[in-house]
Amino acid sequence: MTTTSHPVAPEDVMAFFDGELSAAGAQAVSAHLALCAECSRLAEQLRVASQSISRWIAPAVPKKLEDTMKNLTAKTLPGPKAGKADSSMRINFWNWRLWAIGGGGALVAVLALVIFAIAMTSYENHREVMLSRSSGLAAIDDRAETRIPAGKPRAMNALEAPPPPSAAKGLAGGGGESRDHAASSAAPAPMIARTVSLTIVVKDFAAARASLDNILARHHGYAAQLTVSTPENAARSFQASLRVPAPELSSALGDFKALGSVENESQSGEEVTQQHTDLVQRLKTARDTEERFRAILQQRTGKLEEVLEVEEQIARVRGEIEGMEAELKTLEHRVDFATVDLQLIEEYSARLSSPSASVSNRMHNAFIAGLSNAAATLLGIVLFLEEYGPVLLIWLVILGVPIVLIWRRYRRMRAKV
Amino acid sequence: MDDTSKNPGAETDEQLMVEFSRGSTDAFSALFMRYQQPLYGFFYRRVANPAQAEELTQETFLAVLRASSRYRQSALFRTWLYAIGFRILRAHRRKAAFRGTFLGTPPADYEPATQSSIEVEVLMRDAVGKLERLDREVLMLREFEQLSYAEIAALLNLPLNTVRSRLFRARMALHGLLAAPAPQSSAQNLAQSEERI
Repeated sequence: MTTTSHPVAPEDVMAFFDGELSAAGAQAVSAHLALCAECSRLAEQLRVASQSISRWIAPAVPKKLEDTMKNLTAKTLPGPKAGKADSSMRINFWNWRLWAIGGGGALVAVLALVIFAIAMTSYENHREVMLSRSSGLAAIDDRAETRIPAGKPRAMNALEAPPPPSAAKGLAGGGGESRDHAASSAAPAPMIARTVSLTIVVKDFAAARASLDNILARHHGYAAQLTVSTPENAARSFQASLRVPAPELSSALGDFKALGSVENESQSGEEVTQQHTDLVQRLKTARDTEERFRAILQQRTGKLEEVLEVEEQIARVRGEIEGMEAELKTLEHRVDFATVDLQLIEEYSARLSSPSASVSNRMHNAFIAGLSNAAATLLGIVLFLEEYGPVLLIWLVILGVPIVLIWRRYRRMRAKV
Repeated sequence: MDDTSKNPGAETDEQLMVEFSRGSTDAFSALFMRYQQPLYGFFYRRVANPAQAEELTQETFLAVLRASSRYRQSALFRTWLYAIGFRILRAHRRKAAFRGTFLGTPPADYEPATQSSIEVEVLMRDAVGKLERLDREVLMLREFEQLSYAEIAALLNLPLNTVRSRLFRARMALHGLLAAPAPQSSAQNLAQSEERI
């Protein structure tokens, strides 16, 4: 029987007997059945099938079920509370909610652990960086150090107070006389090489940069090293190692701090008096030695070999003198000029910037980047499979075979129940 | 005054359920009396062991007791009850399959000698057991639980037309199976057919 030869579908005939058709549908099927022998036979077959199966009658409910339910009802009622588990009920191990809650809880716990671990690692790294910075500064001078918290500038400490002992300039020839004199005096003034580290946050970076040049010119200082960083869409920064005459350090620092708000400041001073005195003494001795050699050369005559040997000695001593003079000059320069490690950071506020490249260009770049990323990913997968594939295969066999067998058995059992 | 409030027997299932959710034990008793036999039959025809059918019937009514506060009158009580029954049946099947898989416990401990040897039951279990699983469920819900096509569709989460076509297919298949020569009635045959259902 097909719908092409019959105006009603076979399912409609069945639905007619089940009372599942609308009045109009039922009328149409009824009229068709009166005329169509084939459909009548179908209806008869369906009716027989229904009648046959309806003969399968379940036995009466055991009486004890009613009694059990009465007891349980009395225990549970009145007022069954939603969500409150009855003690007589067994916990359904297969309840998906249990699995969902358990799985969700486990996931949250794992996530919390991961976040905690990341936070701890980050904190430790930060702490290590801070410690290494502190120890670096401490190594510069373990005798005096002052640290001022960010945003709280304070008065200079006593280390700034003493003026540099070196007033004389020039060491060549008899230039070191005044220092020699100072060194030979009973109580030489302390010589301190000072270092200041400053971090300042400025609002107008360009203006601060220009002001800095003016400050240096005003205080007769100079920049020994300078680095400017101007990243796109981020705060600009300026890092410089400045040399400022020691007597003007205090006023220069005041000018630097006026550029913006001080975020970090540290000061240290290294006393080099002993080092300077030793150097001066050694220099004096070397000069005396040189003088004696020269005197020998002028007053006495001898063999050529002896003359050459004396000249060699003079050259050696001369070299030592020049090295010591350079060292002395550097040392005094450190005392005369304080070092200021200055860092200027722009107070950055994000700006809406127009796209630098055209849309097509950016799309092209993104496409290329996407392709290279895809290639890198594919390569990574291939490399991973090459490296771990054999091991994974072994585990797949070890675990896969029992899992498949268990799954098949489970399916078989499931079909039987 | 409404007459139905005086006579619990005249009230609809849904009205009784609402009363029960408000704490009326009489309403629950009335519902239990109405549905204990159909529900027992529902499980009896689907599991191998009558004791299990009894246990599952009890579990279903206990679930109704616990879930009464969540019942919404918009849902037909009968559909809601059989939905709970189906959930419990599925859980029972999973547990039995799990036990059978990992513990080696056979899924059915049916003892043919202690059961009725009615020829019809043997024939029916055998024939119905040969039907495709979903066709069988649709057929049994229609024939025994007397659910409408729409209720079956809602219960099994199927489109209405699928229910119609599957029911038609199941009935025609059953007609064919029953028209075939009757199998011999034996305890072994009964046990085998039990396992298939």
